[in-house]
This record gives sequence, C-alpha cells and structure tokens, in this order.
Amino acid sequence: MCGITAIQVRDAALRPKLGELITAMLGQVADRGPDSAGIMIYPEKRVLKGVGHPTTLATEWRLHEISGTQAIAHTRMATESAITAAHCHPFVVGDALSLVHNGSFANHHTIRRELTAQGVEFDSDNDSEVAARFLAYRMAQGDDLEKAIRLLCERFDGFYTLAIQTPQAFAVVRDIIACKPAIIAETPGWVAMASEYRALAVLPGIESARVYEPEPEEVYLWTLT
Amino acid sequence: MSYDDIRERARLGRYPIRGGGARRKIPTFDDLTFLTASASRYPLEGYREHCATRTVLGAKNARDPVVLEIPITIAGMSFGALSAQAKEALGRAASEVGTSTTTGDGGMTPEERMSSKTLVYQCLPSRYGFNPDDLRAADAIEIVLGQGAKPGGGGMLMGQKLGPRVAAMRTLPEGIDQRSACRHPDWTGPDDLLIKIEELREATGWRVPVFVKIGATRVYHDVRLAAVAGADVVVVDGMQGGTGATQDVFIEHTGIPTLAAVRQAADALADFPEVKLIVSGGIRSGADVAKALALGADAVSIGVAALVALGCNDTVHDFGPASYDDLGTTPGDCTACHTGGCPVGIATQSPGLAARLDPVRGAQRVANYLRALTMETTMLARACGKADVHHLEPEDLVALTVEAAAMARVPLAGTEWIPGR
Repeated sequence: MCGITAIQVRDAALRPKLGELITAMLGQVADRGPDSAGIMIYPEKRVLKGVGHPTTLATEWRLHEISGTQAIAHTRMATESAITAAHCHPFVVGDALSLVHNGSFANHHTIRRELTAQGVEFDSDNDSEVAARFLAYRMAQGDDLEKAIRLLCERFDGFYTLAIQTPQAFAVVRDIIACKPAIIAETPGWVAMASEYRALAVLPGIESARVYEPEPEEVYLWTLT
Repeated sequence: MSYDDIRERARLGRYPIRGGGARRKIPTFDDLTFLTASASRYPLEGYREHCATRTVLGAKNARDPVVLEIPITIAGMSFGALSAQAKEALGRAASEVGTSTTTGDGGMTPEERMSSKTLVYQCLPSRYGFNPDDLRAADAIEIVLGQGAKPGGGGMLMGQKLGPRVAAMRTLPEGIDQRSACRHPDWTGPDDLLIKIEELREATGWRVPVFVKIGATRVYHDVRLAAVAGADVVVVDGMQGGTGATQDVFIEHTGIPTLAAVRQAADALADFPEVKLIVSGGIRSGADVAKALALGADAVSIGVAALVALGCNDTVHDFGPASYDDLGTTPGDCTACHTGGCPVGIATQSPGLAARLDPVRGAQRVANYLRALTMETTMLARACGKADVHHLEPEDLVALTVEAAAMARVPLAGTEWIPGR
C-alpha cells in the first residue's frame, strides 16, 4: 500500500540534478502513500525519513538541492505495522543496501524468526525490513545481489514490487503474480522505475525512453560503471 | 466417572478396554480460526495459483529422504489390530496420492510392503515381528516411545484377534491376550536412544530416515531429546490419538491435547531446523491439517480418520447375518476395535468379517479423503496468501477460547492478548 520510485543516473551532466528529479518523482507517488516517506541518496549514503505528507517532507529536507548517482524513495500507506519514521522505507541494511517495497508479505514472521536464529538483528517489526535483512544475510553468505533476489522470490510469499539499490547497483523485481504495479523507463542518461508512469513522465527525455513493465519474478539489474 | 462406569468395574473386577481415542471435551484445533487475507494482505486464487504441498522428511541424515506429495501421512496401525485387507487398502490409498503408510506392532506383511510405495517401519518396545530383513525393506524407521492414546503404556491385542497368522508373526500362542512392553528392552533415556538410532542407521546403511514417535506428555523435553539423540523426524501424538485397544483410563486421563503439544514441539525444534515434526491425534479435516502446519508441524498423521474413510462405523451396510447388533455394537458409536468383532472388516482377524472389506474400493475412499483434506489445506493456505502450505505460521491464527489461546499461544480473537504473555 505504497508508492515507490527510484533512479540511477548514468549521465554525469545530470547528476547535479538528482535532487530535482527525485523530488518530482516522489511528488507523483505521494497519493499512494500519504502517511510517511523515506529516501536514500547515493553515493552519499544519506537516509531521510519522516512522518507526514511526502511533498511537505521533501520541502523540509530541501531534497531538490541534492546531487548524486542514485536515489530510491518510498511513500507509505501502512498495512500492519505502526506509522513512525522507523517503519519508513527504504530499509538500509548491510553494506548500504537499501530496499523499498510496495505490497505485503505473507510469511515474514517465520523468515524473521529464522534470520533472528542466525543472529540477524532487526530495527522494526515491518515485513519489508525482513526482505532487506534477508538480502543482506544472503549477500553476507557469499551470494551476489541477483542470486539473493532469486532466493527471496523462492522464500517469500505475498505480493511485492521491490526496488533495491547498493552503491553500485539498482535492481527491480516483482512477485510471480505481479499484482502490484511497476513501470521502468530507460534512456542512455538514466534508468528509473516507479509504481506509476506519472512519476516517470516528469523525467527529461522520457519521450524517447524505452518504457516497459517488468515481468513477474524476473530480476532487472543495472550496474553503475 | 458415571455410575454405569462404576457398575462395569464392579461386574468385571478389572478396567474397561476399548478402541479409539479420547472422547471427552478438550481444547482442539476447532478452537482456532484463520486470519485470512483481505486488504492488508492478499489471497491467492484457489484454482489458478499454485500452492505447494510437497513435504520432504529426513534430508539431514538419510541418503534417500522420504518425499511426500502431501503433508498428510497414515499413522502406524498394526496388522493384528487391523485386517490384512485394511492394511492393503491404506497402502494402496497412500501410494495413489503420494504419501506414506506405517506398520505397527507385530511387523510388516508382504501385502502392505507391496501396496505401499513409501512404508515406515516401526521399532516398538515389544519387537514382535521385528527383523533386519524387513528393516532393510523399509523406506523409513520409526522408533516408538509411546502413543497419544496411552503414553507410558504398552500395546494390547486381545486374544480374539490373535489368529494363526498374527500369532505366528509375533511368535505368540494363538488366542492369548497380548500385552506388549511399555519400554524398549535394550535402551532407556536419550543417551542410549542415540546409540539405538546409530545402530538402526548402520543396519540400513544410512539410507533411510529415522523417526522417533512420542505420546504427548512432557513434549518440550521429549522432542528436544529426540532431536539431540539424532532423530530426523519427531512424531508427536496428542491425547486424542486413537488405538486398537487399551485401558479406558489411559485413553481419557493421560497426555495433553494435540493443540498444546504441537506448539511445545515446534519450540523444542527451534534450534534444530533440519529436524521435521509430524503431529497426530484428532486430525479430521483440512482445517486441522492447516492449523497444525501453521503452529509448526511439517506434516500430520491420521489413523482413526483414515479408518472412518475406509468404512469404520459406516451406517449403510449389507453384511448379512453378523451385523452391528449381532456383534453387540452400534454404528456411529462403535469403539469395539479390541473385540475383533469389527462389523466392517477393518479391525478384525476373522476371515469372514475381514472379507467384508474390499481393499480396492476401500482404497478409493481413503484416497478421496486424503485428496479432500489436501484441497481444504491448500484452500486455507491460499486464502492466507501462501504459495506453499508450509508457509502457514502461528500469526495466521487466533483462538476462540481462552484455553486454546493459552495452549496454542495465539491471541484470543479480536484482541492482542495471549494468556500468560
């Protein structure tokens, strides 16, 4: 019950405008999650989270002034856990891996117990944090990001569109039924995804972008060079 | 105890014996209900979206783990307690739906080996009929420490059922009352159980899984010790679990309800993720199966329910001369398994009565029942948003009574309250 949007900027000339781009994108998914919002900026590894309307929060954070390579943002309509900044996505875990989730997992309590038994610690009771911790745990065991995401698809029940960023990579995956919306747009200058097309329509060069809907359980992965 | 019960004891000078399981009112899985999905979570489509039921047992130590297509197995019931026809029918049904069946006291018959694709061979305190050849012919071994109907008690087979074949398999005289040992002759306690498990693994070349079955009493400790001793699978039989014959006082006054046992057993196995849990005792519907899985079981076993599917207590029959009345029992309320006078040919060694059960027709009914239970289980799992029945979890349940909430450690419906928390 959320809006998600993320971007990886490939064109160095556009990187000073990262803040402007993500602010505009966030504003277009605000209706999907008016309770609270959060964002992670790379390479700075700056996390901003807050309770309130996403547009108001973006202004408070002076988000439009930020520059960088990647940003991943989330607007939240809470399902089963509390509305606090701690429950806001992105969940940033491990080696600056950040995850945003639109949907709801159905067997996360068991996976949380399994991870806890392996010594993994949690910051919140949020189901999405379990997915982030699962990926970080698998990567600590030696799996690469793509393998860890595939294992997540095998292990987790429920509905999800996930966007994931690390300092060097950006990934998108949807559950096997692909119920929650997702759209990707790619140009030579950037690759971006959002819950709804309207958040991509604000990007420069969208007219000539390759726009497509991600397939169920297919891992889309882009690496920064 | 009623006045009639007193009079019965006064007349007999001994305890009453019967078949079946506990019949008094105790908390059961019926006291729980599922929180299926709606807005905060999403259900899966009943007919189009996959929900896995495959269950693998014993992958930790066995070269050939037991792979079941459904999480429902047939519990151990002996040839002796049951007719050869009944054992064959259960084997045929289990094989048809891709699950296992289990021997019982008195050993393995060629008919049940032939009809069962996956056969679990019990190692019981009596060792009646137990031999290395059959051990090596089995797909899994189950060391029985006790059963839910009579934890702490031994097996019992009344003389009426010790016909020539049963007696020969057990090296006993025909027609005597058999009272089996309540304790294994060569080991007691978890330290020596460890040695026994290794012995059985060596005898079978580490090929098949070793199960340990306990009657549900001090469940947490017993299950943990079974895991420590090296069991691949622990089978926990709750107080509703049935029997072919035992003292009524055992059936009604020992052990704890399956509902309480499953949660304790799951807790005990928290540190042993590779050890699997089978729960039995009073499993009747797919809802029971789904609830047992949600509380931590990997599979369930059914005994009495399989027999009812086979025709036990059937009210419609065309048996000719020896009907229920003549055998001194009533359809719908018959627990005369111990007398050998089973009107439907299931719990008997009388060739005439046993011939009433057609193994092929019986197998069809049991297979249908197993399929229906599986459909009900996946229906509930899908409604909870699960693509695998093993993904059900305690958080999917709430309790309708305070007692069930306390035993299953799930909140009372409509509250966040778990008694004792």
